[in-house]
Amino acid sequence: MKIIHCPLNGPRNISEFVYGGEVVDMPDPASASDAEWADHVFLENNTRGVVREWWLHVATAYWFIAERDTANEEIVRTYPSSDIFKERVTFAAPDEEQGTS
Amino acid sequence: MTSVTLNPADFTRRSPVYRELRDAGARFVESFGGAIAEDFMESAEAEAKSAAGLALADLSLLPHFGFKGRETVDWLRSQGVDVGDQDNVAYRQEDGVLAAKLAPREVLLIADIVGRSDLCARLADSASIEEEVEAFPVPRGDGYFWFLVLGESAPAMFAKICGVDLRSSSFGELEIAQTSVARMNVVIVRCDLGETPAYHVLGDVASASYLWACLLDAMEEFDGRLIGHGAIRHLAGL
Repeated sequence: MKIIHCPLNGPRNISEFVYGGEVVDMPDPASASDAEWADHVFLENNTRGVVREWWLHVATAYWFIAERDTANEEIVRTYPSSDIFKERVTFAAPDEEQGTS
Repeated sequence: MTSVTLNPADFTRRSPVYRELRDAGARFVESFGGAIAEDFMESAEAEAKSAAGLALADLSLLPHFGFKGRETVDWLRSQGVDVGDQDNVAYRQEDGVLAAKLAPREVLLIADIVGRSDLCARLADSASIEEEVEAFPVPRGDGYFWFLVLGESAPAMFAKICGVDLRSSSFGELEIAQTSVARMNVVIVRCDLGETPAYHVLGDVASASYLWACLLDAMEEFDGRLIGHGAIRHLAGL
């Protein structure tokens, strides 16, 4: 069985984890075009090489980031999301007209 | 030891495995607002002796209570609870309560083995989601079962149903493992009773009967048995 090193809990069987998608910046939903939004929601980069991904340790509901090489399936390193997200990501609320439509 | 027993179904507060305990021949006494399995018709000393190998007990009725939120640790410290910085470690309080630090922002308090301390009740009363402080009460008392697995063969038994090495050489006193046991998520806290290795196992009450059956099945090859609260007090020297 593959082992993932959870930043909170240490080495655990991969069966205790769930994949959560690529780490990508979310476009501002208020100003993004339909094409940009569809790209964000439905399309993946499918990079060959080291990618940055969200993973969840299910037993503790702990989300963290793993760098994984898609060419050889090796987990290169894992770290808490606070290492790259230093501030809360917020978007302005849609204006009154859009919000009530 | 007397043969008089209570019916746990007569109480509003019940352990999630009270049927299993009753069917196994437990003698119940009134405690912690319900009926707790005191023994299995043997003296506490005899049950404690047999626990040296492998034994299972139910502590679900004893107080256990959690807190979550950004200011959890600071707030608990301001209330006089000793909580260190390291995660996945249980910090023993002077009155025997364990403050299990599950994450940077989450702490689970589990009572001393005889439930004498009022710390859980006191903190549960003083915490409120209405407060400005971001330390939210998580009432685990009814939501989490609490089993105790003890004895020299416990790590070998766990090896059948859990991926984490729980032997003394790699899993020491007061360490915590949050992991999968028999495919369900549990918190394991090691806190020995005297010389006897002891593992507290806490998890979602909805799956209590399932895990209870899994543990009994896994324990069979090691001649594991059920013991009551009397034997646990005896092992703790209380």
